[in-house]
Amino acid sequence: MKLLEILLNGLSMGAIYALLAVGFVLVFKSTGILNFAQGELAMIGAFLCFSFVMTYGMPYLGGFVLSLFLGALIGALIEVVFFTRMVGKPLFASIMVTVGLAGVISSIAGFIWGHDVYSIASPFTNKHLGIAGFTISSGVAYTILTSIVLLIALLIFFNRSLHGVAMRAAAEDPDTAGLMGINVNQTQMIAWAMGSSVAAVAGIFLAEQSFVRISMSHYGIQAMAAAILGGMDSVKGAIIGGAMLGIVEGLAANYLSGLAFQGFHFGDVKEVAAFAIMIIILMIRPRGIFGKEKVERV
Amino acid sequence: MAQEIYTTYADELVLLPNVWVRVWSALLVVILVCCPYFLSEYQLSILNEMCIAVIGAIGLNLLIGFTGQISLGHAAFLAIGAYSTALLTGQFQVPFLISLPLSGFIAAILGMIVGIPALRLKGLYLALGTLAFGFIVEYVLFHWDVTKGDLGMSVKHIQLGSYTIKTEAQYFYFLSVISALCVLCSKNIIRSKIGRSFKAIRDRDIAAEAMGIPLAKYKIMAFGLSSFYAGLAGCLFAHYQRWIVPGSFDISVSIAFIAMIVLGGMGTILGSVLGAVFITGIPHLIVYVTDSLKDTYPSLTGLIVDFKLGIFSLIVVLALLFEPYGLVGIYKRVKTYWVTWPFRY
Repeated sequence: MKLLEILLNGLSMGAIYALLAVGFVLVFKSTGILNFAQGELAMIGAFLCFSFVMTYGMPYLGGFVLSLFLGALIGALIEVVFFTRMVGKPLFASIMVTVGLAGVISSIAGFIWGHDVYSIASPFTNKHLGIAGFTISSGVAYTILTSIVLLIALLIFFNRSLHGVAMRAAAEDPDTAGLMGINVNQTQMIAWAMGSSVAAVAGIFLAEQSFVRISMSHYGIQAMAAAILGGMDSVKGAIIGGAMLGIVEGLAANYLSGLAFQGFHFGDVKEVAAFAIMIIILMIRPRGIFGKEKVERV
Repeated sequence: MAQEIYTTYADELVLLPNVWVRVWSALLVVILVCCPYFLSEYQLSILNEMCIAVIGAIGLNLLIGFTGQISLGHAAFLAIGAYSTALLTGQFQVPFLISLPLSGFIAAILGMIVGIPALRLKGLYLALGTLAFGFIVEYVLFHWDVTKGDLGMSVKHIQLGSYTIKTEAQYFYFLSVISALCVLCSKNIIRSKIGRSFKAIRDRDIAAEAMGIPLAKYKIMAFGLSSFYAGLAGCLFAHYQRWIVPGSFDISVSIAFIAMIVLGGMGTILGSVLGAVFITGIPHLIVYVTDSLKDTYPSLTGLIVDFKLGIFSLIVVLALLFEPYGLVGIYKRVKTYWVTWPFRY
């Protein structure tokens, strides 16, 4: 039963990683930019939800939806203000702008909300569900359920809807897509908006499992490991990569953290499991499990 | 931007091209020699920090600006250099003059190992790999008994034979000589075959390979050189601060170094120097400004010092958006404007 519990808790963390990783993939697929500020956007989403629910006393669901919309707005704004200017600049510049934005966003958040630790009182706090003989906290259950629903919706959107197909086309070849009557600029803006609202959802769920604080943006970098594991250009890969990362982290935290080896204490091994996976994947199979091999034309 | 066009090889190889550069360089040397006589201890300590930052920034610029390989884990190599010298001079009683190059070489070897995957990875994958490497180094430093984790390690003063470098002024002379040597070395590397190969790889690696530049060799060389410089900077940092903890080499340090080369100008040695001076100076400037405003706005002091990372990040974003060539770009533009004045071209 203990293993099952570890797996379920790992899976709920994995669901959050999957959401963050899908955010990376959405932006990467349609613009070719890896958004290093994803974790910061998640943190902003969680803080907005905290403000709406705890400070202004809105109902939880209302705060959730509102911070989701505001997250989308912030994402679209970032795209319009920064990345429409970055067209045609080298990749390094675009990546460094997102790294810089990450620092700016967490500074602004520190300015507004301070460096204290908060928590959101949600309908699931301190409630437990009994399923088939063992109990899990209802926050974990809802995180997994909602993420699954959201991720399936995203998959359907990408594979079946006209907008999703247009986004994929714009990612594949922006020039041809433009000739086919797809508004490439708008598509990229929508991708940023979707990416950051998914990040906001992930942030709010993360707040459910731990706390709302500035340093929660760290999970964004860990979720990159999930995106790399699954393949940077595959939504399905991001979901599976996220789940795997969550489970591996849970297992590592339970079985490795007490160990010591010749004066080396593993300690909070959970924090670096993601980075170890990232390096291994980059060495063995850089395109990830489901990613497509990129062929460079000269 | 106006690029210098060389018509002969001799033109390209000359270090101080005209009389103005010679005069300015001589003037700089004179000013630097006189500095300790009219600056306070605090001002000298800022200059010392700048000297160390210059070495690290040149290392990163060799990798990012000249070879085009993105690294987000520069602080890790500084940490390796710093901890190497702490162990070497502390536990093994190695004299400083041997431990300084040795800690550089240890960092360089690890850098080359990190560089091996770079042969397959490009662009953002490399950024991710180096980022992960940085976090893992920080984790190892925290959890290994040898590096004493959170407690940190104490490092001795620099010992040159029987002579001990103790005061800020002594440190200033020593560090500025070392960083001047580093600038000169990097200048020479850039003017040589190695530097031209680096630039060719940055501009188009496939074309470079087609022209007979062995990519693997030069990419790994770039990583080794960059981390050698970082190791030197880390070693000097450790001896200067005399106390190192893993927290002084976290991701924000890597971002500060990137801010230096982006602000200064990528792919120029002058840019790395200018960027290092500015980025190291800005926090002290902020402290100065908030100190002078302390009486009118008492709440300001704590607030702004907190936002060092935010300001560096903002500098990176603004520089990339509006002045991709950095301070060197601004300088060249202003120069061209006055050279051709009143015509635009």
